[in-house]
Amino acid sequence: MVRTVDLKKHFKDGKTGVKKAVDGVSFEAKPGKILGLLGVNGAGKTTTLRMLSTIIRPTSGTAMVAGYDVVNDPQKVRASIGFMSTSTALYGRLTSIELIEYFGGLYGLEGERLKERVKYVTEKLQLHEFADRLCDKLSTGQKQRVNIARTILHDPPVLFFDEPTAGLDVVASQSVMEFIEEARDNGKTVVFSTHIMSEVERLCDEIVVVHDGVAKGSGTVASLKASTGQTSLEKAFLSLVGFQANYETAVTGTGVA
Amino acid sequence: MNTILHVYRKEIRDMFRDKRARSAAFIGPFVGVAVMITFLSFITSTVKKQEGQKLYVVQTNNPELALLKKANNVVFVPSAEEGAKLIKKGEAHVVLQFGDPKPDGSSEVDAYFDPKEQLGQLAVGVVEHAYGAQNKAHLHALLAEKGLPTDADEQIKVVRHEVQVGDKGGAGDFLVGFLPYLIVIWAFFGGMSISSDLVAGEKEKNTLETLLISPAQRTQIVIGKFLSLGTLCLSSSLSTVVGLMIASQLHIPGTEEIFKNGFGVTPITFGIILVVLLPLVIFFASLLIAISSFARNPREAQTYLSQFSILVMLPAIFSQVIGLTDAAHAMWVNFVPVLNSANCIRMALLGKTDFASVAVTVAVSLVIGLAALRLTVFLFNREEVLVRV
Repeated sequence: MVRTVDLKKHFKDGKTGVKKAVDGVSFEAKPGKILGLLGVNGAGKTTTLRMLSTIIRPTSGTAMVAGYDVVNDPQKVRASIGFMSTSTALYGRLTSIELIEYFGGLYGLEGERLKERVKYVTEKLQLHEFADRLCDKLSTGQKQRVNIARTILHDPPVLFFDEPTAGLDVVASQSVMEFIEEARDNGKTVVFSTHIMSEVERLCDEIVVVHDGVAKGSGTVASLKASTGQTSLEKAFLSLVGFQANYETAVTGTGVA
Repeated sequence: MNTILHVYRKEIRDMFRDKRARSAAFIGPFVGVAVMITFLSFITSTVKKQEGQKLYVVQTNNPELALLKKANNVVFVPSAEEGAKLIKKGEAHVVLQFGDPKPDGSSEVDAYFDPKEQLGQLAVGVVEHAYGAQNKAHLHALLAEKGLPTDADEQIKVVRHEVQVGDKGGAGDFLVGFLPYLIVIWAFFGGMSISSDLVAGEKEKNTLETLLISPAQRTQIVIGKFLSLGTLCLSSSLSTVVGLMIASQLHIPGTEEIFKNGFGVTPITFGIILVVLLPLVIFFASLLIAISSFARNPREAQTYLSQFSILVMLPAIFSQVIGLTDAAHAMWVNFVPVLNSANCIRMALLGKTDFASVAVTVAVSLVIGLAALRLTVFLFNREEVLVRV
């Protein structure tokens, strides 16, 4: 599972002094469930995932991933997670299989165990047809499959997805979402960051709305709608982040829904 | 250690599939050497051709001209003014005008040339040398006629005795001057082409994140990258030596003077080159990775790298002319990075290796190399540096 308590990340900024990228986010993601971090670009979703995956250290607050503290046991945290983002490129001059084996080695897989896992992901994601092709020569969909293979090769209990469908076509997006659902069904703890409402409604068991680095609300889709008195997740989201009043003023001139 | 080797193997595989890395490690040094040898051969043969150049002479009544008329390469011009016009057009490099013989039999020759043109200076030098030899022969004949010793004109005679230093048939002047420079320069530039991709490129492509979220320690990752870049730097540098070795065996026309003793690098000299080169490669590879780690993207890295390359080139260039100064034997040279390595290689090629200098040079290079490596590891562990975008 993943648990954060008042997690903060402040960066030094030459112009403003301090930039509060994340300013107190708390949530809990459970095994077999998908937790969605919902927010606009720059809300602090990626920074939160970067802290959870130990790329950067929190300024304050605590975060536990798979039972390990991200500050005190970063190596154990990293061994327990898979991280995927569409913005992550592959090594273009390695073949698909070389790339997967490389990451297997980094995760401490070797010998028979490595062969076994490579065989598993190759079959599961149907990588055979382009296993020996350089990653630079792969289509976007094929690259995405290799990316997924890299993410799950070491069979981590926790998976982080940072806007995993950004820039993908409908077919590729569909296969990514199916994969996330399958991971949940297999008991993985999934934290999923996005700004696409339809994906949240389809995938997430629980949602944390993040805006300006602060958690503005959390709950299921239904509870968020109920608590904001809105009929759609989109309106509930806008209401939580304070856009709704402005939007209504612009449309009706009254500010009253 | 396994993780370091794992990263190293991947980087080497990735690197050598890149045309730029192959070019930097092998093709560049080979082609660089080939171009340089061809260029020098061209200069040598061009200078030799000057000996057979046409000689422009002003038509006068001097009896010397009767002798010159028999030569095929003499062109007569009607006046000095006409000769000057030919010089201005670039058709003649020097025009000679023989004055009327004096009563004592001597005569004066006016040589017209463009002092700004190197070929003109060269041609005048050849004429002066030729008539200098003739004057000397004439003087000797006169002395003999008077019953005096023919070397009476040389109160102090200088007799040359060449002292064999180092191995017989060692590296020629050309190699002593150029080889240290090439070895040192390629150790840096060989790695420079690809270093910006190693970290800054990974930042830009977001592949660095995937490495950072693996259980591998950051220090292991950066050491693996450092070792692979060091391999490239070393390959580039040694390819220069191999390229010259091959060039010496090809007997390209015009290179006889350059390779008058063959390649001339003995196994001992090669061993000293390696000993001096290895710590220098540690320094260069660390510096290159540190810059790549600090930069936000490959373009920014390339900007920093081009500035640093000047700092590397300056001492390397000085190493080419250090033989014209007393500095080659001075102790302070051993404390100047890059210059110290080039100078040690130069001294080894001359067969004058001073092992104390080699030891100081290796120690200095190692200290700055390890300091640069420490800085690299430090930078690679700083999240402010790694997540700069």
